[in-house]
Amino acid sequence: MAGIGFELRKYLESDSYLGALKAYGYAGIIGAGPWILSILGVMLVGILSVSMQVDAHSVISFLVSVTWLMASSLMVTGFLLLVFIRFVADRMFEKADAIILPNVVGLLLFSTLISGGLASLVLWLYFPDQSIFYRILMVANFVALCNMWFAVIFSSGMKQYHLIITAFCLGYLTVVVSALSLQHKGLEGLLTGLLIGHCTLLFFMLVLIFREYPGSSFVRFDFLKRKNIYLRLIFIGFFYNTGIWIDKLLFWMDPATSEPVIGPLRASVIYDLPIFLAYLSIIPGMAVFLVKIETDFVEAYDNYYRAVREGATLQKIERFSKEMRQSVKEGFSQICKVQGLTVVMIFILAPAIINWLNISPRYLNLLYVDIVAVALQVILLSILNVLFYLDRLTAAFCLTFLLVVSNGLLTLITLQLDPVYYGFGFCGSMLISSVVGIWILRRTFDKLEYHTFMLQN
Amino acid sequence: MNIPKDKQKQADICLLLESTYPYVRGGVSSWVHQLINGLPDFTFALFFIGSTRDDYDEIRYELPDNIIDLQTLYIMERDANLTPRAHKGDKTVYAQLEQMHNHFRDGNRLPPELFSSLTRLLAAPRELSLKNFLYSEQSWEKIRHDYLQYCDHPSFIDYFWLIRTIHLPLFALASVVNKVPKAKLYHAISTGYAGFLGSLMHRVHDKPFMLSEHGIYTKERKIDLAKTTWIADQGNLFKTGMDEHIGYLRTVSIHFFEALGKMTYAASQPIISLSEANREKQIIDGASRDKTVVIANGINLTRFEPIRKSRSNNPPPVLGFIGRVVSIKDVKTFIRAIRILCNHLPEAEGWIIGPEDEDQEYADGCKTLANNLDLQNNIKFLGFQNIDTLLPQLGLMVLTSISEGQPLVILEAFASGLPVIATDVGFCSGMILGDSEEDRALGAAGVITPIADPSATAHAARELLTEPGKWKTARQVAEARVDRYYDESLLFERYRERYNKALN
Repeated sequence: MAGIGFELRKYLESDSYLGALKAYGYAGIIGAGPWILSILGVMLVGILSVSMQVDAHSVISFLVSVTWLMASSLMVTGFLLLVFIRFVADRMFEKADAIILPNVVGLLLFSTLISGGLASLVLWLYFPDQSIFYRILMVANFVALCNMWFAVIFSSGMKQYHLIITAFCLGYLTVVVSALSLQHKGLEGLLTGLLIGHCTLLFFMLVLIFREYPGSSFVRFDFLKRKNIYLRLIFIGFFYNTGIWIDKLLFWMDPATSEPVIGPLRASVIYDLPIFLAYLSIIPGMAVFLVKIETDFVEAYDNYYRAVREGATLQKIERFSKEMRQSVKEGFSQICKVQGLTVVMIFILAPAIINWLNISPRYLNLLYVDIVAVALQVILLSILNVLFYLDRLTAAFCLTFLLVVSNGLLTLITLQLDPVYYGFGFCGSMLISSVVGIWILRRTFDKLEYHTFMLQN
Repeated sequence: MNIPKDKQKQADICLLLESTYPYVRGGVSSWVHQLINGLPDFTFALFFIGSTRDDYDEIRYELPDNIIDLQTLYIMERDANLTPRAHKGDKTVYAQLEQMHNHFRDGNRLPPELFSSLTRLLAAPRELSLKNFLYSEQSWEKIRHDYLQYCDHPSFIDYFWLIRTIHLPLFALASVVNKVPKAKLYHAISTGYAGFLGSLMHRVHDKPFMLSEHGIYTKERKIDLAKTTWIADQGNLFKTGMDEHIGYLRTVSIHFFEALGKMTYAASQPIISLSEANREKQIIDGASRDKTVVIANGINLTRFEPIRKSRSNNPPPVLGFIGRVVSIKDVKTFIRAIRILCNHLPEAEGWIIGPEDEDQEYADGCKTLANNLDLQNNIKFLGFQNIDTLLPQLGLMVLTSISEGQPLVILEAFASGLPVIATDVGFCSGMILGDSEEDRALGAAGVITPIADPSATAHAARELLTEPGKWKTARQVAEARVDRYYDESLLFERYRERYNKALN
């Protein structure tokens, strides 16, 4: 999320309490915005349509279909997401801006073909009992979502975060409005609404992208050339998204914790609801993370590499390296403080929230665990981000691999245990990954200068 | 020309040649060529050490038949198989290196057992390998420590790359100790990387090793560090050229080559120089006196016999400059001197004999200067010529160079009975005024002038040309000196003797 730093600094430099508050608020919305908005949007559709007397089964089918769409599209796009970001960053470094846009078009075309083909195959093979409309709508939504993730991640590389948030607000407003106006058509109506909304959002993103970049030709596929593909990035992207979804998948698959909803799609109400609620709590942590990384860390980072390149003394280089380390350390300690406070507050308020939302108190325990787990996930995300900045792809690869394996294994174990332990798999995996990640970061900073000088090509 | 590699036959002597014969023309190369031709009773193998392949064209000499092998090594080329890999490195090895550097820093001679141990490590594939030097943590710690301890040059990246660049060739050389042509004796024609390889051959294969030094290596280093292809991004280090970097980095590279010199001196027996003056410099730089020997350059006197005989004692007022028309020869000072001389001797002429294509811009500048000084009729640019036909027509030879070794043209002038006016650079004064006590007793075979001093050159020329007695004395000294000290048969005899001694 390079480029956001400048705007944040402007707020912070106004040197007032309000300025700082504004900076953090801004960062919070940007960091967590798309995530929160999509959860909120879909839940809103669910809640409102229930109140509009759409039959419960259609609403549940809708929510479960959307959840699967989200999870699967994130995992599938994970393969190419980071590779493409890297491709764009490298081209920008080379000042070959003109080939970026044609490659974006190429990527979207490629994504449409692959995701469309994949989804059609799955829908055809595993959903024979569903209506043709349902199947077409699922394929279309899947394609739209895949393209949307690419567009989102790509446009977040540009500096117009407020426009992205605006696009998301507009997009999900469209989702809610069009879904509700089509609610009389049942499940298919809601899915059509979702599709219209996501397409609107995608359209806005594309407008932003096309406005920002010049294009020399219409479509190119340079990003698929072998030399532009970093294998480790493919796996990091896939492992990360799989790592944070695998516990949910396991719960959806286990007959003891889930029920079939539509076709082969299953849901685990007991597991899903708390985790979605918990994700809403990461706003403060994400905000702190963004502010710290995008301001202090990036500044020290720039200073460090400039000092290396432009021939500063080693003393100076080592000082900047220390500053970089210090900013990461402070970032973590601030995330811990802020997210810790949030966790404590939600712990206190949780019974009231559960009560107010009219959700069974059975979920309370799991909500507590999930709140802690998502807090740790913010830390893990920060660690990965720093590793990306330092180009430690192997370390990031190992860390995301650990995430998949530990989350999978621990969740399988908890599934064998009493329901009291549900969520501990996810939470334990996040804890292990974060601790290992911090250890990796420590080692990385210990040897940063050695790496920078001795191991370059 | 391709030399069939005859593996059965082992050469008597393997010459270690750093960026010189047979791929580069010049004084040292001519000397090597002359030596090999003059000693047909020995067989030679050549080991040429160059910077990168692209820097050299074809072989510049017709190789004599007694050269039985020629191998090359390009030490500034990157090994494409190297990929960075993090690893720790051996602490004890780097402790020994630290010890070695401390000895050099204190100006001490290296204890032989430390040198032997490091040589073994370097020649062994593992402990002190190139990978180790490039990528290990120990190596990094050493560079870091030394920078913080000693370096006052602000740019760390410059320091880092300099250290890498000057040391890398050592690893390339260590990797070929088993590929250098087999020979009974190794003979390096300079210190530096060639001398270092000789000392490796001596330590690793226990072969006799000798050194002939023509100049001061740190001043006349042939391999340009900036040629390295090791470094993708060298920062600013070589952009302005190493030699323009003043201060610590320059000192580092000088110390480095001095240390290589010390290692070479320690291993070689004997240590040969061209003159007493250079011998004293070698001793100051760490050569032990009892190993040093002076063997001067030599010239084929019979070739100049007819010219000498035909020369009258009435010199024509023609000053000859023989050499490439490049700035280091300071041809412009020669032209200005002719101007001053012509003010008194209007009939005087200056002939500039030598190729002009190496630095066209400078050559054009010289011509413009001659025109501006109204010397169209007095200065002739003759280009590259056979000097045998020109030497008889000259009255004096003049060298205005700002840097020289032991120029052969001075000997050629002497042999043809021509006095010489030369600047006080390299070994010129030793040749004109005498080297040893006994040599100096012969008298002056010309005049030594300060560099870039046209009026001193003009004054000396005027004196010699207008006072026939002075000119005649100088001529006699020149002839006597070249006959006694610079006969090439003397050179061959001395080397034959040295070679035989080392081979048996």
